[in-house]
Amino acid sequence: MNRLALPYLLILPSFVLAAAIILWPVGEIVTLAVHDVNRFGMLRGFIGFDNFRELFADPDFFAALWRTLVWTAAVVLGTLVVSTPIALILNEDFYGRSLARVLIMLPWAISLTMTAIVWRWALNGESGMLNSGLRGLGLMNENIQWLAQASTAFPMQILIGILVSIPFTVTIFLGGLSSVPEDLYDAAAIEGAGRWTQFRLITLPLLRPFINIAFVLNTIYVFNSFPIIWATTQGGPANSTDILVTYLYKLGFRLGKLGEASAVSLIMFAILLVFTLIYVRLTMREEAA
Amino acid sequence: MTKFARALLFASAGLLALGNAAEAGTVRVTIAEYSKGTGPYFEAAAKAFEAANPGTKIQIEVVPWDNLQQKLTTDISAGANSDLSIIGTRWLLDYVRQGVVAPLDSYVTPEFKGRFIETFLTPSVLDGKVYGLPIAASARAVYYNKDVFAKAGYDTLPATWAEFKTAAEKIKASGSGVFPFGLQGKEIETDVYYYYGLWSEGGEIIKDGKSGLDSPAAIEAAKLYKSFIDGGLTQPGVTSYNREDVQNLFKQGKVATVITAPFLSGQIKKEAPNLNYGVAAIPAGPSGDHGTYGVTDSIVLFANSKVKDEAWKFLDFLFTTDQRVAFDKVEGFLPVNAEEAKNPLFADNADLKVFASLLPKARFAPVIPGWEDIAQTTSNAIQKIYLGQGEIEPTLKEAAAKVNATLSKN
Amino acid sequence: MINRRKFIRSLIFWALLAPVIVVILFPYAVMTITALKSATEVHDPNWWPSEWRWQNFPEMWETSGFAPALLNSLYVSGLTTLLTLVVSIPAAYALSRFRFFGRGAFRQFLLVSQMLSPIVLVIGLFRLVASLGLIDNLNILMWVYVAFNIAFCVWMLQSYFSTIPRDLEEAAWMEGAGRARTLIVVFLPLAVPAIVVTAIFTFINAWNEFVIALTMLRREENYTLPIRVFSLVAGRYTVDWNYVMAAAFLASVPVAIIFAWLQRYLVRGLALGAVK
Repeated sequence: MNRLALPYLLILPSFVLAAAIILWPVGEIVTLAVHDVNRFGMLRGFIGFDNFRELFADPDFFAALWRTLVWTAAVVLGTLVVSTPIALILNEDFYGRSLARVLIMLPWAISLTMTAIVWRWALNGESGMLNSGLRGLGLMNENIQWLAQASTAFPMQILIGILVSIPFTVTIFLGGLSSVPEDLYDAAAIEGAGRWTQFRLITLPLLRPFINIAFVLNTIYVFNSFPIIWATTQGGPANSTDILVTYLYKLGFRLGKLGEASAVSLIMFAILLVFTLIYVRLTMREEAA
Repeated sequence: MTKFARALLFASAGLLALGNAAEAGTVRVTIAEYSKGTGPYFEAAAKAFEAANPGTKIQIEVVPWDNLQQKLTTDISAGANSDLSIIGTRWLLDYVRQGVVAPLDSYVTPEFKGRFIETFLTPSVLDGKVYGLPIAASARAVYYNKDVFAKAGYDTLPATWAEFKTAAEKIKASGSGVFPFGLQGKEIETDVYYYYGLWSEGGEIIKDGKSGLDSPAAIEAAKLYKSFIDGGLTQPGVTSYNREDVQNLFKQGKVATVITAPFLSGQIKKEAPNLNYGVAAIPAGPSGDHGTYGVTDSIVLFANSKVKDEAWKFLDFLFTTDQRVAFDKVEGFLPVNAEEAKNPLFADNADLKVFASLLPKARFAPVIPGWEDIAQTTSNAIQKIYLGQGEIEPTLKEAAAKVNATLSKN
Repeated sequence: MINRRKFIRSLIFWALLAPVIVVILFPYAVMTITALKSATEVHDPNWWPSEWRWQNFPEMWETSGFAPALLNSLYVSGLTTLLTLVVSIPAAYALSRFRFFGRGAFRQFLLVSQMLSPIVLVIGLFRLVASLGLIDNLNILMWVYVAFNIAFCVWMLQSYFSTIPRDLEEAAWMEGAGRARTLIVVFLPLAVPAIVVTAIFTFINAWNEFVIALTMLRREENYTLPIRVFSLVAGRYTVDWNYVMAAAFLASVPVAIIFAWLQRYLVRGLALGAVK
């Protein structure tokens, strides 16, 4: 077997599969974005950038764009900050570790849509269990109407986003942490390095590729994340919690403006593409492997 | 073998010979799920039909309501849609204009048409052609908590908004913690909840081709509702309650009124059997105007269906009185068939009587292109007002301008 | 025999984890408690049901078509996990061990495959699948899931593979073992933690996926679990919340079991033993 061809053969199946689910749909969306499209995706005529122009004339689009950036940054960074110590703890040997690991991971076992629905249920102002729980604990006297306005709803949605991303991130870190040999720590300890130094000089560098994966993938998933915002507020009230993906859902499936909705998805795609190109460039330089 | 069955057999063989992707003689029906009884009802209807019509198979595909539009869009765009489908009648215009639904006039005989109560069939008739049949119909009325109102000194719901407000203030003053007016501020039909007020002030959603949102009536109605919110006469956080949420509050006895459709009676019986409730007309405005919102969902036949005849037979079957009674009993909808309305199940039902009496004044969503757009613009404006994030007049004027833009574009 | 230091360490760790666990488990608690309430109590926000209606579970099981959906989900998720690994491991190996032209581009390309939100993807994908006449087919759904999960699996596996020293493989080759045999017998066992993580990830993704399944599946007997559970909620007018929560709870059990089983392989020092 030709040695040169071997790597290509090895990546061929995955390449073909990944291409199938990306190239065709992207092609479709580009087509839809530059045509006048009826509610059912039937093309009615080429209109160039008109869809984009309509979009840029809508203040709600820019509001949703900004909010998406805030949402993504808050959730991803929040997740990383919280997940790191958790993963470190769960990597240590202690009693009940298996149980703790399963508990942390449990949110992942419920589908995101269902989690969002349960949260919406729990956040109900008068009949929700969060309010009744907080009041029962004496932490507040009156019900907070969590989902009634963006000022309380959006932070709540960000919190939920972080909570559901923790299991995934912690699991990646645990996988990465298990690649760090015990000896290194022992050797460092003998040389007098404290725990913090060990973390900085041993754990962090070796964990870096995994942190990169977690960061990039989380950014992509959170940026595109639909169920949480949709199930709790549907981007409302009055579009005040809209992110790009809920905005485009309403545009495409409620108002039937599939051309504009496709334009929004292209813009989202472009943003993510630029982001990952830059990020992967930066990190591949770091990774010696 | 009857002539029909033989013809069907030949037709099926023909279709098979053409190598058609769909099974010959199979009618696919997309059903929007109203409750967990919807699927079983249609499955049973399908079986009954198949038993009486061997050679035709009915395939029922149940879709959650919230995903119906999305599913239909993707299906139609790929040409993979079913033969029959339930749709919201307010979407029908778009479907007709894009040529995806077939007119039923070649099948509809005067006798068939005569089965229906006129008010319910009209919304599905466009350009003089019947494009859909009303499969589900309802109107809106006020459910009120009799005990709470009795304590405030009222044995029925006040008939005007002014009196209602007085009653509401009395209820609030009694300190029972019950919120008098259950107001919906979220999700679908938020605008409709506001229209109840608009209509009672004598306003119109669309008047002479222009939006009625900046009319004095509209402003009065908005002021009325806002005064309820500001006066603590509604549940707090109005914009986080959709209609189901408000209904739940009502069932728990936390709000004293909710404006909704007949199916609530069934829910109350199951979930709050001890609730002493009554049903009454929506309060009227100063000049005695009041209205209720009529809604129908239609079942349509798609233009690209290859089994139109069989599909029609199934439709015919579904709209026989027995089937209609069975369906409306399960879901709590209003009868669309005249015969059905005479059935004791409906005729003697006190709650349904109230709804039926409101029908003559029922207004349906205007059948105009861009209605979804308009509904969303209105809902957004109303929500801003409820939240106190916009002054009433400028917000409504802005919304009216947007609506007019939509109207002129179409 | 309890190790004293370990015991103290355990207490500290549990104390640190406790707040996180409480917040993370909050929806789970809400779900479970509501699942045990009766229809009349379902909307009351009390934390202790007045009666514990365990029979909600069997009732829900019977009325909601849970069992066939469960089997469908097990089939799809299990097969997806297997096939994704089969496809991803060679690719990750190639990326980790070989320098070849297009290596960076391929990695970037995999990321790109994740960038379309399913809501958006669904229209394009659906048309493709519909034109092939493959709608309402669980196997097609499974292949779509495989395609989606490749990106994460390859990235994760590759990062992990790169931490395994080449010496081990080279030693095996020198002893005459073929490349393929070395891969399977020597290399893969060292990569178990990474394989476990990717298996968990893929299984859960496939198990919980909703939008694509909803669009591609037609008949109720083909439904996967998320569609089934969701269909209990999205009924227009009447929702049996206690059944919904019971269904959601049960739907999460298989995943929890799989995770509990697999997480014990997420242990450090696995690679180390071999080097010694």
